[in-house]
Amino acid sequence: MDFEPVIGIEIHAQLKTKSKMFSSAPVSFGDRPNSNVAPLDIAFPGALPTVNKEAIIYAIRVCHALNMKIDDLLVFDRKNYFYSDLPKGYQLTQYFRPIGKDGYLTLKSNIFEKKIGIERLHIEEDTCKQIHEADYSLLDYNRSGIPLLEIVSLPEISSGLEAQKFVEEVRSILTFLDVSDGKMENGSLRCDVNVSLREKGSNKLGTKVEIKNLNSFSNIQKAIDFEIDRQKSLLLDGKKLKQETRRFDENRQETVLMRVKVDDVDYKYFTDPNIVPIRLSEAFIKKAIEDMPELASSKHNRYLSYGLNEYDANLLVSSKEISDFFDEGIKTGVNPKSLANWVIQDVFSYLNKEDINIKESKVSALNLCELISFIEKNEISNKQAREVFAKMTISGHTAKEIILENNMSQMNDEKLLSEIRLILP
Amino acid sequence: MRYLSKPLKEIHDAILRNEVTPLDLVKEGLSYVGKDNNNAFEYICNKEAIDAVNKLDSSKKNSLLYGVPIVIKDCFSTKSIPTTASSNMLSDYIPCFDAEVVTRLKNAGAIIIGKTTMDELAMGGSGTSGRKGMTYNPWDKRRKHIIGGSSCGSAAAVSSGLTPIGIGSDTGDSVRKPASYSGLVGFKPTWGRISRYGMFQFASSLDHVAYFTRNVFDSAYLLNVLAGHDNKDFSSGYEDVIDYTKDLSKSIKGKRIAVIKEVLDCCSPKTIECFNKTLDQLRVEGAIVDIVSIDEKILKAIYPTYFIISSSEATSNNANLDGLKFGSRCEGNSFEEVMINTRTKCFSPLIKRRFIIGSLSLSKTHREELFVRAQKCRRLIVDSFNKVFEKYDFIYCPASPTTAPLFKGYNPRFNGDVNVADNYLAFANFGGNPSITIPIGFENNMPFGGNFTAKPHFDSELLNVASILEKHTGLMNLVKENE
Repeated sequence: MDFEPVIGIEIHAQLKTKSKMFSSAPVSFGDRPNSNVAPLDIAFPGALPTVNKEAIIYAIRVCHALNMKIDDLLVFDRKNYFYSDLPKGYQLTQYFRPIGKDGYLTLKSNIFEKKIGIERLHIEEDTCKQIHEADYSLLDYNRSGIPLLEIVSLPEISSGLEAQKFVEEVRSILTFLDVSDGKMENGSLRCDVNVSLREKGSNKLGTKVEIKNLNSFSNIQKAIDFEIDRQKSLLLDGKKLKQETRRFDENRQETVLMRVKVDDVDYKYFTDPNIVPIRLSEAFIKKAIEDMPELASSKHNRYLSYGLNEYDANLLVSSKEISDFFDEGIKTGVNPKSLANWVIQDVFSYLNKEDINIKESKVSALNLCELISFIEKNEISNKQAREVFAKMTISGHTAKEIILENNMSQMNDEKLLSEIRLILP
Repeated sequence: MRYLSKPLKEIHDAILRNEVTPLDLVKEGLSYVGKDNNNAFEYICNKEAIDAVNKLDSSKKNSLLYGVPIVIKDCFSTKSIPTTASSNMLSDYIPCFDAEVVTRLKNAGAIIIGKTTMDELAMGGSGTSGRKGMTYNPWDKRRKHIIGGSSCGSAAAVSSGLTPIGIGSDTGDSVRKPASYSGLVGFKPTWGRISRYGMFQFASSLDHVAYFTRNVFDSAYLLNVLAGHDNKDFSSGYEDVIDYTKDLSKSIKGKRIAVIKEVLDCCSPKTIECFNKTLDQLRVEGAIVDIVSIDEKILKAIYPTYFIISSSEATSNNANLDGLKFGSRCEGNSFEEVMINTRTKCFSPLIKRRFIIGSLSLSKTHREELFVRAQKCRRLIVDSFNKVFEKYDFIYCPASPTTAPLFKGYNPRFNGDVNVADNYLAFANFGGNPSITIPIGFENNMPFGGNFTAKPHFDSELLNVASILEKHTGLMNLVKENE
């Protein structure tokens, strides 16, 4: 018997808006616990929700980037359940009318190209953070009410690698749009996957297993591939799969059982009566989309138009910060190919060596371009430029300052000739 | 000399004449509140009120509320003042913020002297279910009659002359019904006109800030103070705030008034007699009064529809009361146990009953049959009344079929037998209509009222017609002092 995996992904992304989804408390990471809390975030009686416009704009942009239909009537619903991390006893979400539906994402790599359907994107709020100690638990309401986007794919993913690529692509969109940090390691991007196997050629879906708490891109692939093998061997042994929730154990490099699913929880959804439905005007949606920051795919195409090769263009859009650095340099009118070479070779190796982010680089894009301009004007040689760059990474001084400090200016032909003329009788 | 039993204008004039100071007024208020024997108070602001009056900004002297002691139903969040909603669940809850209504009252110079009793969490219409037990009707010294609820304490305080203003909340008829039973003006403006921020939510889609006064002018003036957009309440309206006292004496000639036959049919003979007298008075003023019919099925659907919707919203709105974050807590070995123990112990059986009915109505298995159906009914009911409003400016009926019922035999449970006249007022909550009760008569020395309701946003017109009738009946500034 041959099986094919059927995989669906749910992604939760925290939005980095200035304030929370339904309250005026600031969204801020790493602050003192319980310092960014409005009455609503702890569910004090009488507190009421308001809707964060910035979050709506962000959601519209992500919907657009994911080729989704945008609902112009914004409605929020209550998902009712009791839990220690849920202050109101319900979560505000969009159950009946998600802001986005019926989208897709195209995954591209050297080996494959595949369109993955996206069922829905909706806006909701985060719960508070729990810190469990041996005999007590602490609750931090700073996280309570932070806007979340939930993106739900169709079960059209068929391998761990595809799943990883899918999440990476979504992350790229979120970060290039500047709406989320997209960091799996600190929970600003979370993903759950559903894995089941079905007989090849059959339409009948197998028993679904959910894997939660995947905290890195590589773990997504590893967990899914492990789970596919586990399910396959069980099925081949003639055993029945249970509908269950598992997590990925990093030490054992395998998925382990969290709980077997019993009956579905009844969340008693109903539309929140405090938030009157909001009609989003065509102009508002259009403006949100028009003012969108440039996506990686568009930047990539632009870089190709500068004459860069596919490989270099890909490297430059591997993160929002790198492409921003590159674009800042491009604005000076520098030769794109020279700049790309410097970024990919020298800047990258400097960042790697120091183990820092490009935002922490002591060499700014403008300073790097100035250095390149000295080379292009033949004021210094390539070899000297590398020395200057090394000094820039240490002192943070400009190329000009370093050249002057070290008397490195190379005589160009014209200067040399005129000096010779002076010396010669 | 007793001032707090007078209309706002008279109190204000006395202050301007330097005949009395805000401090005198607050002391008068506190002394009477201290002697209250109607169980009207959850908390008396002895210290807070004196502090507030000492800090009173004399630049607010133009406000009629300047230095005036007022009382507030205990479901409004008051910063640093205990707020229990008359529930054991919140017996030691001290809020960290003021409700928007409270902020606006303070800004107008009013001094809060007490938080008033209510039916637990505003669920109930009898004024008997709060954690401190029954609240009495000042008109009945033998203490046999209810005052009605849920805003029982505020009604008792205003009708016994302790203060000219009592803030309440009205989700079904929680101000307009007790107003009828206690000889007061009870006013619920258009939904969204007054911010609900800081008012404990019972059923958000039906909840209104509402209040008691002893005459229509005071109600209109209070709306000037409380109305207007608040960006903390997403359902708050954007219309301009006008001077609602301006048109109170305007002629109502040619105004069309509809009386619902089916409501009238369910009232006592004495009620009908007094009510009919007021119809004549309205006609004298040139109003056109017609008796109209609304399908009895629609009228009988109001109460069950109200009960399903309000219980559903209430079960969710009160899910925050879990013992983990604030208020009372009963310990347990896990968070689930803490929640279960706290909610089991601290809510009264009536409240639990509502939560269970609400939960059932929202559950997957019963949603269509109960919650969704109630929503559809709500639409049908609003449509039926809107049809009347197509031809008429106001709907006018007795606010209650009789005077205040007896405690004995009062059954707060829905038993399927609906007295239309006792349960129709919630139609104005369904539609968000402005609605006002004013006294129209007495039976055996107990008062009862009539109720005018208008189209949403016609608050000014509504106050106008109520004010005109009030002049005819002469039933204003009624006070039944404590003995």
